[in-house]
Amino acid sequence: MRRTWLSRIRLEENWPVLTFAALFLLDVLLKGRFSRFDLQTLCVNVLPLLLISFGQFFVVLTRGIDLSLGPISSVAGACAALLLARDMATGFAVALLAGAAAGFCNGLLVVRFALPPIVVTLASMSVWQGVALLILPNPGGDIPPELPDLLNSDFGVPTALILLVLVWLAAAWVMSTRFGLHLRAIGDDEAAARMGGVAVQRVKLAAYVLAGAAAALGGVTLAIATSSGSPTVGDDYILLSVATVVLGGVPLVGGAGGALGVAMGALIVTIIGSLLYFANLSSFYQSIINGVILLAVVGSRSARQWLALQLGRLGHAG
Amino acid sequence: MPAEGNSVGLQGAPLPAPPPSRIALPRGATIPIALAVFSLILIGIGEVLSPGYASAKNMLQLLKLSSFLGIIAVGQTLVILAGGIDLSVAWVLTAAAFAFTTVTQGHAALIVQGLLAALAVGAGVGLVNGVGVARLHISPIVMTLATNSIMQGGTLVVTSGSPLGVPDLVRLVATGSVGPLPIMTLLWAGVTAVVVIAVAMTSGGRKLLSVGENPRVSFLSGIDNDAVTIVAYTLSGLSAAVAGVLFAGFSATSFLGMGDQFVLPSIAAVVLGGTSILGGQGGYGGTVLGVIFITLLSTDLLMGNISPGLRNIIFGLALICAVLSHRVLLRGESE
Repeated sequence: MRRTWLSRIRLEENWPVLTFAALFLLDVLLKGRFSRFDLQTLCVNVLPLLLISFGQFFVVLTRGIDLSLGPISSVAGACAALLLARDMATGFAVALLAGAAAGFCNGLLVVRFALPPIVVTLASMSVWQGVALLILPNPGGDIPPELPDLLNSDFGVPTALILLVLVWLAAAWVMSTRFGLHLRAIGDDEAAARMGGVAVQRVKLAAYVLAGAAAALGGVTLAIATSSGSPTVGDDYILLSVATVVLGGVPLVGGAGGALGVAMGALIVTIIGSLLYFANLSSFYQSIINGVILLAVVGSRSARQWLALQLGRLGHAG
Repeated sequence: MPAEGNSVGLQGAPLPAPPPSRIALPRGATIPIALAVFSLILIGIGEVLSPGYASAKNMLQLLKLSSFLGIIAVGQTLVILAGGIDLSVAWVLTAAAFAFTTVTQGHAALIVQGLLAALAVGAGVGLVNGVGVARLHISPIVMTLATNSIMQGGTLVVTSGSPLGVPDLVRLVATGSVGPLPIMTLLWAGVTAVVVIAVAMTSGGRKLLSVGENPRVSFLSGIDNDAVTIVAYTLSGLSAAVAGVLFAGFSATSFLGMGDQFVLPSIAAVVLGGTSILGGQGGYGGTVLGVIFITLLSTDLLMGNISPGLRNIIFGLALICAVLSHRVLLRGESE
């Protein structure tokens, strides 16, 4: 069969990229410009979501879910806001370790006690929200000004864009390793993966630790981008990270999806926000549009299948 | 190979933990007893923190406070039993409350119309959730997350979000008492009786459990899985809507974000009550105890003059401990 140009695009696999491309085009056409400043703003805005969503991605791949990633990023951001001004290295290290330790706790409860991930992370979500409030009761803290300056700097190419590409490459690299393969194998069929010699428990635990660390990096980036820490800043990302992963073409039953898709998911969410802001529509519409796009993306495929089935039935009846 | 997964693995290595309970665990009395004991301890702590806490009068007040979460948890229990989850209760509740207050505008004469509007919102969103999950095979988390998002934006756009008053009659139902008994407590007791009996003893309840336990087997035994799922989500939307109207009555107003505080506790209550998050096992009786446990824990933490941060931490740790103890208890039961 001759392949048409349409089939070569492989719509089924590439729609996150195409959706982003369409939205990006709309954005540029509406604004009539896409300056280096716009690019930089987009990159800075997308970075925290991207990091937290990559964390969510690793957990979702194993057929899990992590509702505590948002609060973990609050904790890391709070640590950064309190410590970075004193000593950069300590600030980054403590924030990252806090995230990894939080992920380790989640992973341990999921793996060792075979508790459902949604229940474990629901509980730990509350714990990390509390920890964030304890260490930084009010928004504020102190971020050394050179860090936001660096994040917003531009060496020919905006630094944020370089960071964005680096984060994506790192996630893509993780997925290309044996570990990435095992993550997918577990999500696809845990029993088969175990028989195939995958150390299921250890790989799952590692996924949660990695997720915690990625969320912590996201929290630190968020603190740097806003020049302050906030104990509740991560709450927005609890479900947004799940939505982003799904928008990126990763099914919540795990086992499929790639780093590029997740990156596109984060870009889609961010560019919708910027479009609405530009169109001067109240942020009320943001949640409606997020919901509708989420449904359109996940629903379109199953809706088509269902429609085909119904038509098939009609055909049989007639 | 023994049926239990926790004995010996394929290569003779001990398996560290049993697989998430797909094994038929007999769910007897241990979880309710454990929850009751925990609750008694919490009542004891409350009495120490503030004498008079354990009085019958205060207990009835706490039951009244619990009843709103209790009514939301009806739907959450049904949906989780069917193997799903409903994250949309937050804004279905808020949207229904706003539908009610917008239609009634505080007039008692319009209560019926207002109630119908609220129930229509709840049933409508529930129906959409159910169809999305059952027919379009959208994952329950994504589906209800999306409708929650849409209802949030929708409520803000349609109502502009300013708080609205509630007819006195509804305020009376939500806050008043018959003799010593709060009306809400009586209402909740009635709802509990109906739901417990419906889940445990009717064919509809058995269908619900069987869809959650194993959809394939249930389909092969002639159950219309899709219809059961859709009904469960619709009932969840309805129960959130009813809770929304009553909670607006309790607060004397509908306000934005009024439902947010209930979503995660409603799931926690169901899980605490011994219903498997994977579906198929459990019931509303356990959820009621879970709701009471959560109310006691949060009032204890409030009275202990504990900072909000520490309160969150203790709440989360208590949830983890309770779920862990369930696992230990169930393991004991199944052996």
